[in-house]
Amino acid sequence: MSARLCGPLQVDGSLSRGQGSHPWISDSGVWYVQIWVLENCSPLLTVFGARRGTHTQKVPLAACVHVCLAHVSRVQLGPPRWISFLGHVTEVYLVHLHASVYALFHRLYGMYPCNFVSFLRSHYSMKENLETFEEVVKPMMEHVRIHPELVTGSKDHELDPRRWKRLETHDVVIECAKISLDPTEASYEDGYSVSHQISARFPHRSADVSASSYVDTQNSYGNATSTPYSTSRLTLNTPGQLPQTLSSPSTRLLAEPPQATLWSPSAVCGMTTPPTSPGNVPPDLSHPYSKVFGTTGGKGTPLGTPATSPPPAPPCHSDDCVHLSLPQATAPKKEERTDSARPCLHRQPHVPNDRGLEELHGGKGSVTLSDLPGFLGDLASEEDSIEKDKEEAAISKELSEITTADAEPLVPRGGFDSPFYRDSLPGCPRKTLSASSSTQGTSANPEPLNSSLDKSGPDTPKQAFTPIDLPCGGTGESPAGNRERQASLEASILTPSPCKIPPQRGVGFGSGQPPPYDHLFEVALPKTAHHFVSKKTEELLKKAKGSAEEDFTPSASPMEVLDRLIQQGADVHSKELNRLSLPSKSVDWTHFGGSPPSDEIRTLRNQLLLLHNQLLYERFKRQQHALRNRRLLRKVIRASALEEHNAAMKDQLKLQEKDIQIWKISLQKEQARYNQLQEQRDTVVTQLHSQIRQLQHDREEFYNQSQELQTKLEDCRNMIAELRVELKKANSKVCHTELLLSQVSQKLSNSESVQQQMEFLNRQLLVLGEVNELYLEQLQNKHSDTTKEVEMMKAAYRKELEKNRSHVLQQNQRLDTCQKRILELESHLAKKDHLLLEQKKYLEDVKLQARGQLQAAESRYEAQKRITQVFELEILDLYGKLEKDGLLKKLEEQKPEAAEAAEERLDYCQDGCSDSVTGHNEEAPGRNGETKPSRPGGARGGGGGGGRGGGSSSELSTPEKPPNPRAGPFSSRWETVVGEPTSGTPTTVGSLPSSESFLGMKARELFRNKSESQCDEDGLTVGSLSETLKTELGKDSGVEARAPLTLDGPLLPAPKPDSVGQLRIMDYNEAQLEHS
Amino acid sequence: MTEDSQRNFRSVYYEKVGFRGVEEKKSLEILLKDDRLDIEKLCTFSQRFPLPSMYRALVWKVLLGILPPHHESHVQVMTYRKEQYSDVLHALKVIRFVSDATPQSEVYLYMHRLESGKLPRSPSFPLEPEDEVFLAIAKAMEEMVEDSVDCYWITRCFVNQLNSKYRDTLPQLPKAFEQYLNLEDSRLLSHLKACCAVSTLPYELWFKKCFAGCLPESSLQRIWDKVVSGSCKILVFVAVEILLTFKIKVMALNSAEKITKFLENVSVLCFT
Repeated sequence: MSARLCGPLQVDGSLSRGQGSHPWISDSGVWYVQIWVLENCSPLLTVFGARRGTHTQKVPLAACVHVCLAHVSRVQLGPPRWISFLGHVTEVYLVHLHASVYALFHRLYGMYPCNFVSFLRSHYSMKENLETFEEVVKPMMEHVRIHPELVTGSKDHELDPRRWKRLETHDVVIECAKISLDPTEASYEDGYSVSHQISARFPHRSADVSASSYVDTQNSYGNATSTPYSTSRLTLNTPGQLPQTLSSPSTRLLAEPPQATLWSPSAVCGMTTPPTSPGNVPPDLSHPYSKVFGTTGGKGTPLGTPATSPPPAPPCHSDDCVHLSLPQATAPKKEERTDSARPCLHRQPHVPNDRGLEELHGGKGSVTLSDLPGFLGDLASEEDSIEKDKEEAAISKELSEITTADAEPLVPRGGFDSPFYRDSLPGCPRKTLSASSSTQGTSANPEPLNSSLDKSGPDTPKQAFTPIDLPCGGTGESPAGNRERQASLEASILTPSPCKIPPQRGVGFGSGQPPPYDHLFEVALPKTAHHFVSKKTEELLKKAKGSAEEDFTPSASPMEVLDRLIQQGADVHSKELNRLSLPSKSVDWTHFGGSPPSDEIRTLRNQLLLLHNQLLYERFKRQQHALRNRRLLRKVIRASALEEHNAAMKDQLKLQEKDIQIWKISLQKEQARYNQLQEQRDTVVTQLHSQIRQLQHDREEFYNQSQELQTKLEDCRNMIAELRVELKKANSKVCHTELLLSQVSQKLSNSESVQQQMEFLNRQLLVLGEVNELYLEQLQNKHSDTTKEVEMMKAAYRKELEKNRSHVLQQNQRLDTCQKRILELESHLAKKDHLLLEQKKYLEDVKLQARGQLQAAESRYEAQKRITQVFELEILDLYGKLEKDGLLKKLEEQKPEAAEAAEERLDYCQDGCSDSVTGHNEEAPGRNGETKPSRPGGARGGGGGGGRGGGSSSELSTPEKPPNPRAGPFSSRWETVVGEPTSGTPTTVGSLPSSESFLGMKARELFRNKSESQCDEDGLTVGSLSETLKTELGKDSGVEARAPLTLDGPLLPAPKPDSVGQLRIMDYNEAQLEHS
Repeated sequence: MTEDSQRNFRSVYYEKVGFRGVEEKKSLEILLKDDRLDIEKLCTFSQRFPLPSMYRALVWKVLLGILPPHHESHVQVMTYRKEQYSDVLHALKVIRFVSDATPQSEVYLYMHRLESGKLPRSPSFPLEPEDEVFLAIAKAMEEMVEDSVDCYWITRCFVNQLNSKYRDTLPQLPKAFEQYLNLEDSRLLSHLKACCAVSTLPYELWFKKCFAGCLPESSLQRIWDKVVSGSCKILVFVAVEILLTFKIKVMALNSAEKITKFLENVSVLCFT
C-alpha cells in the first residue's frame, strides 16, 4: 500500500501545494490528490482495520472524509463559474471523487458504523453542513442498510482491534459489502441475500423513490437491450407481456413501469448516464436523474447524484450489464438452486429482447434507444465526415465485436449448466439488432437528439447533456460541441452534467478501447464466485475463439466500471487524438484558440493517472476477492465432495435395502418352515397325549392291583404278627414248663431226701419207741420220788427268774443314768473345748500383747544397749585420754623405772587400741618376756570395743571371763574378795590386774604355768585353762538359767557407778545371754 | 442394727452435700474401737480415704508398729517408747552429742543413728545421703506430729519402712514414673527426653524423701497416709500429676537444669 501511496504523490508534484489551500482554488493536482486519497482510503481502511483497527488512524481518516465530503459538496454547490472555470477537468475528477467518496463511505460505514454515524451526526447537525448532507451524504446513505452494529455494538467496541483479528482483508470487504444495498458493492451471500431480495422487491411495489432506481435500471436495460443482462433484468417483462408487466401489479415494477414508460430517465441519460446503474445506481441517485434528466423538470433534483452515476459507454454498458445481471438475477437463484432458476431464465431470454427493446426504443424516445449510437452519431455528425466515418467505423466495429463477443461467450454459457445458456442465445440477436439499430441510429439519430434538446424545456438537461457529451465524447474533435456544452452548462446551472459528460467520453473511450483491465474485474464481484468458476472454464475452452473475450467479460461494479469506461473512453480519445493528424488537432486548437493542447494532454495524463489509481484500487480489490474466491472454491469442492459422498451413501442404502428384501424373503421362508414344523409337532403332541392317556389308564389299573396286593400283604403281615405272638406265648409256656419242671425235679429230689429222712426218722422213731418202752418200763418202776424234787426245782427256778428280772431292771436304770451322765460330760467337754479355744485365743492375744510389749521393751533394750555402747565408747575414749595424760605424767616421774613399761604402753597406745585393759594384760606377759598373750588381749580389746561377738571373745578373753558369770551369782562370795581391790582401784583398772584380784591370780597362774611348762607347753596350758574355765562356765550356766529372770529387774536399771568392772561384767553377761 | 443406730442418720446426705470426712471418721472410729485393732482394715481404710487428722498419729503409730494392736498394752508400750526416747536422748546429751540448741530433726537423726549403731564419732561428721533423707522426713514430720516422742518414733519407723519394706520397689519407681507419664502425656515425656531431663528429675526428692519438703505438709500428710499404709506407688502418681499440672511451664523450659530446679520448688508454686 505504501508503494501505492507514494506512487501518485511522486507523479504529481503539485500535490503538496494544494492540500492546504481551498480545493476549488487549487489546481487540478489538488483534486487529484483528494480523489487519490479517497480512493486509497477505503482499501487502506480495510487493511488497517483488519490488521490493527487502531482508532489513531481513524481520526485522520475521519478528518479526511470530512474534508472530502466538504469538497464534494462545495464543488457541487459552488458557483458554476468555478466549474466552468475548472472546466471538464474538474468534472472528470469529480466523478472520481464521487466514486471514491462513495467507496470510502461504504468502508467507514461498514467497519465503524457507530463512530461514523456519530461523526455524521455531530458534523451534519450543524446548519451550515446541512446542505452538504442533503446532497452528498444522504444519497449515499440510501445505498446502505441499517448496520446491525448500530443496534448491538458500541463506539468502543468497534475500535477494538480484536474484532478484526480473525478476519482477512477480503472478509472485511465482504462484511462491508453486506451492508450495502448497492448491487455492485453488495454481497448477497449468507443471510443477507434474502433481505436483498426483499429489498429488491419491496421498493417496486411501494413505488418508493428507491424503486425508481430499478425502473431506471430496467429502462436503461431496455434501452441498452443489446445486453443479455437486460433480459435477465426484465425477466418479468416478457416480450409479449411487457405492457402487462407495466400495468400488472403482480410484477415487480408495478407502479414503476408507467413512470418508466413515460419517463425513462435512463433513456434520457441513456447515452449519457450509464445504464449500469440498475444495480449500481442508488435509488436516490437514479431518482434525481430521472427528475433532472427525465420527464418533468419539476422533479429535477440537484447535482448530488452524478457521482454514482457516471455513465459508462454503451458497449461497456453491455458488458457491465452482463456482469450485473449475473449478480442480481442469477446469483440469488443460484444460491437457491439452478433447477429452480432455470424455468424463469428460460422465459426471460425469449421475452424481453425483441419487443421490449423495440418498444423501448420506439416509445421512450430517441435518446434511450440511440444510446451509444446516438451519441456517437451526434459526435460523428458534428465532426468531420471522415472522422465521423472513422469513428463510426471504429465504434460500430467495437460494438459488433462486443456483440459478437457477448454472443460468443453467452452461447457456451448456455451450453453449460449456467442459466445464462438461454440468455445468451437470445441475447445475440438482440445485440445484433441493437448494433444495427445503433448503427442506424448513428446516422439518423443525431437530428432527433438535437431537436429534442432544442424542443422541450424539460429536455434542457438533456440538452445540457448532449453538449457536454459531445465535448466529452469528442472533446478534441468538435469544438462546437464544447461550445455547446459550455453554453448548456452555463445555461442550466443545476446540470449534473459532470455525470453525463464523463459517460460521453466514456462512450468514446469505451467504444474505442476494449477495457484493458476487464479481466481484472471478473473477480471483483463476490456473488459471481461460482459463476466465475464456470466462466473461467468456459473461457479456457473458448480462448481460441476470440480475443474479444475480454470485451465480453463482465465489468465490475457499475460506478467504478463506469469510471473505468470513462477512462477507457479517454484512452480511446487520446489514441484517437494520436491518430488524428496533427494539423487537424492544431487546427482545432487554433481554431478555438482557447485550449492549448498541452493542457489537454496534461489533463488526459492526469486522468490516466487517475485511472491507473483506480486500476490499482480495483486490482487490490480483485486480489482480495480472489482470495475469497479461493476460499469459496474450497467450499464448493467440499460441497461437491459431500454430494458425491451422499450419492455413495444412497447407493449403499439401496444395496442395504436389497439386502433387507432378501432377508425378508428368507424370513418368510423360515416362517413357513416354522409353521410346518409346528403342525408336525402338534400332531406328534396329540399322539403322545393319547398314549399318555392310555398309559395313565394302565397305570390306574396297576395301581388298583397293587393296592389289592398291598391289602393282602397287610393281611399276611397281620397274620405273621399274630403267629409271632402265639410263638412267643408258646415259647413263654415252654420256658414256664421248663421252670416248672426244674422246680418239680427239685421238689422231687427234696421229697426223696425227705423220704429218706422220713425213713431215718421212722427208724429213729422205732428206736425211740423201743427206748421209750424201755424207759416207760423203768419209769413205772421209779415214779414215786421225782415229783417233789421237780416241784422244788421249779420253785427255785421261779425265784431265781424273779431275782434276775429285778436285776435286769436295776441294770437298765443304771444304764440310763450312765448315758445321761455321758451326755452331760460330753457337753461339758464341748464347753471346755470352747473355753480352751477361747483361752487359746486369749492366750494368743495376750501373747501378742506381750509380744508387742516385749518388742517395745526389746527395742528399748536395744536402745539401751546402744546407749551403753555409746557410753562405753565415750568412757573408753575418756579413759584413753586420761591414761595418756597419766602415762605422760608417770613417765616424767618414774622415767628410769617404768621406762620400758611406759614405752610398751605407749606403743600399745600408739597401736590404736583404745582398750587399756588389754594393755595391762599385755603388760604381764610383757614383763615375763613373752609376747604371746598380746594376741588375746588385742582380740579381746576389739571385742570389748565393738561390744559384739561375746562368744568369740569369751574364749580368748578367758582370763577375764570367769568373773563375769560370777558377778551375779557369786556376788556375795566375790564381793568380799573383789570388793576391796575394785573399789580400791577403780581408776587403775586399765593397769595391771592386781595380784589380789581373781583375774590377777588367774593370770599369775597362767603365767606361772607358762613359765613352768615353758613356751612349748603353751597349748597345753591354754587347753587346761580353757577346761577350767569351762567347768566354771558349766557351774555358771546352771546359775545363769535363773539369772536372766532376776537380772532384768535389778541389773538394767542399775548400771551402778560402784565399779566399772561390774558394768563390764554385766555387759559380757548380757552378751553371753544373747549368744546363748 | 446397733451400729446403724449409732451412726448419724444424716450420714446418707453428707456425701451428697460434699462432707466426705464425716462418715469416714465414723467408720474409722468404729475400726479403732476394736480391741484388737485390725491392721489390715486400717491399711485399706487409710489407702482408700484420707485419715482424719485427729486419728492420724494413732493410726500411723499402729500401722508402723510403734503401738501394738491391743489397746491394753498401748499405755505400757507407749511408756516404754517414751522412756526409750528419753534414754537415748539423755545418752546423747550425756555424750554431748546434742544440746538444747540442736534442731529437733537433727536430734532425731542422731537418735536414730545411735539406735542403729551408726552414730558417728562426732557431730561434725559429714552427713550421708541417707541422713539427708531422714532429716527431710523428720522436718516434715515435725510439722505434722506435735508430740516429739511420737514424731521421733513415727519418723524412725517410717524411714525404716522405706529402707526395709520398700527397698526393692523404690528404685523401680522412676521407670514406673516414665511409663505412666508416657501413658498420660507422651508429648511431655518426649519433651523431657529431648531436654535430657528425664534422668535429672528430682527422683530422690520424690521417691526417697517422699516429697518431704516438696509439697506442703497438709497435702503431704495425705500422701504419706498411703505410704504408711503400704503403697509406695502413690509417689509415682503424685509425681506424674505434678508434671501434668505444671505441664505448660515445664514445656516452656528447655534445659534439664531449669526443669529440675522448677520441679524442686513446686511447693513454693503451690502457694502462689
